[in-house]
Amino acid sequence: MKKASQIIKEQILPYLSPSVRTILNMVSPDLLNQVEEIRLRSVQGLMIILPGLGGAFLDQRGCISSQHKAYLVVSKEIEDTLELLSGYSIYACEEELRQGYLTIPGGHRVGLAGRAVIENGAVKILNCISSMNIRVSRQVLGAGEKVVPFLIDRRKGRIYHTIVISPPQAGKTTLLRDLARSISQGEGVFNQGLKVSIIDERSEIAGCYQGVPQLDTGCRTDVLDACPKAEGIMMALRALSPQVIITDEIGREEDIQAIEEAVNSGVSVITSAHGCSLDDIFHRPILNKLIQKNYFERLVILSSRDGPGTIETIVEGEKGLPLYSSRGGE
Amino acid sequence: MILKIIGAAFIISAAYLYGVQLSSRYRNRVNNLESLLVSLEMVHAEINHGLTPLPQAFARAGKNISNPMGNIFLDAAKEMESCRGLSAQKCWVEAVQKYKNELDLTERQLNEINRLSVIWGKGDKAGQLKQIALIQDFIRHALEKARLELDRNDKLWRYLGLLGGVTLSLMLL
Repeated sequence: MKKASQIIKEQILPYLSPSVRTILNMVSPDLLNQVEEIRLRSVQGLMIILPGLGGAFLDQRGCISSQHKAYLVVSKEIEDTLELLSGYSIYACEEELRQGYLTIPGGHRVGLAGRAVIENGAVKILNCISSMNIRVSRQVLGAGEKVVPFLIDRRKGRIYHTIVISPPQAGKTTLLRDLARSISQGEGVFNQGLKVSIIDERSEIAGCYQGVPQLDTGCRTDVLDACPKAEGIMMALRALSPQVIITDEIGREEDIQAIEEAVNSGVSVITSAHGCSLDDIFHRPILNKLIQKNYFERLVILSSRDGPGTIETIVEGEKGLPLYSSRGGE
Repeated sequence: MILKIIGAAFIISAAYLYGVQLSSRYRNRVNNLESLLVSLEMVHAEINHGLTPLPQAFARAGKNISNPMGNIFLDAAKEMESCRGLSAQKCWVEAVQKYKNELDLTERQLNEINRLSVIWGKGDKAGQLKQIALIQDFIRHALEKARLELDRNDKLWRYLGLLGGVTLSLMLL
């Protein structure tokens, strides 16, 4: 498996302005291996985000420095980087720019900030980009190993409807991706894998670039990339005959309706929502409705307590019985 | 006498070929501008209908045009995909610079082709298409002018070459 430093050098640096690229090329491999994000802000120091440490500035020689000695990123460098990130084709990324992100080969996501151009009350496009956040995509194979056994209904030969609840940056998407891979490959599931459809509204789960998944999501997985969740679920039900639908961060009324439709069609649904505990979900009226109706048979709660992806508890949906707890095991 | 006749034939052929060469500049200019117009039309269509990324749109347009104009598109596409980190503007200008001696264009026409570099890859779809359409308008006008010049000068230079050769031969004989 490739090291993060190698991935960054091969997949991310070619998309950066040559001057910024040169500095990052000088960063020591050990440090580069830990980089979670690279942040470029106009007229601010070049910054990398490291686990535990937060943001660290880089100087002209690629060494960690104080803020006033940091390499100052200028607007032209951000402009050039955007040109490279968009493959010299801003016009081909209008939809992504409207949503404030771009995805590059390797599944790395680049969050953008700038001036929003409003048309008919909605954001038409982001203009005058002033900062970007390049998130290094890391696939954690086996992230779902502990969870999968709790999601299998061996009696009926299906996967339980599941919701993964987690605060941001706690490994929710990584877990969903690995669940998709395991279920699709049939790892620890049944004799063979199941057909999985991923509705990847923000290209986070499969990290698609030009429609092609850049991360391993399994051999029986179809990905509807950049497709709104509600519409995507209906499209998958109509056209892809999935056995499992996986989608990220539900929360809108139409998402819930689509999930109800999928559940009633006999398709297993695995989804996620922001929250630190079950209580957080109960306080969100739309999600609470789904829980109250007992649509979800398994609730997986994650945290970053022992690093991203720490499984706090797995709860049986209908009776609320804990099936697994990080403190007490099974 | 035979030597004189052979010499005269040489002079006439050389002068005629020189005339042909001069007239071919006008023909090449028309060909170059026609090719550019077709290439721009292809890039316009690729962007308009398929939102094709610029390097691919350039490569497709370049493959369909055989003269140096096609090479400019192919070279610019290759440079963009080389990951050297050059801007689209630089990729285009470098490609034009490389092939400009093979193009029979006027300085003004070359400047206009270089001006294309500013628009590539910038702005949204509507803006990009509008800019291409504006340049296409200019190229159309330049093409009309080049065709008129071709009509006027093509035969003129050939006959001038031939007659000049005959006159010189007669004078020497």
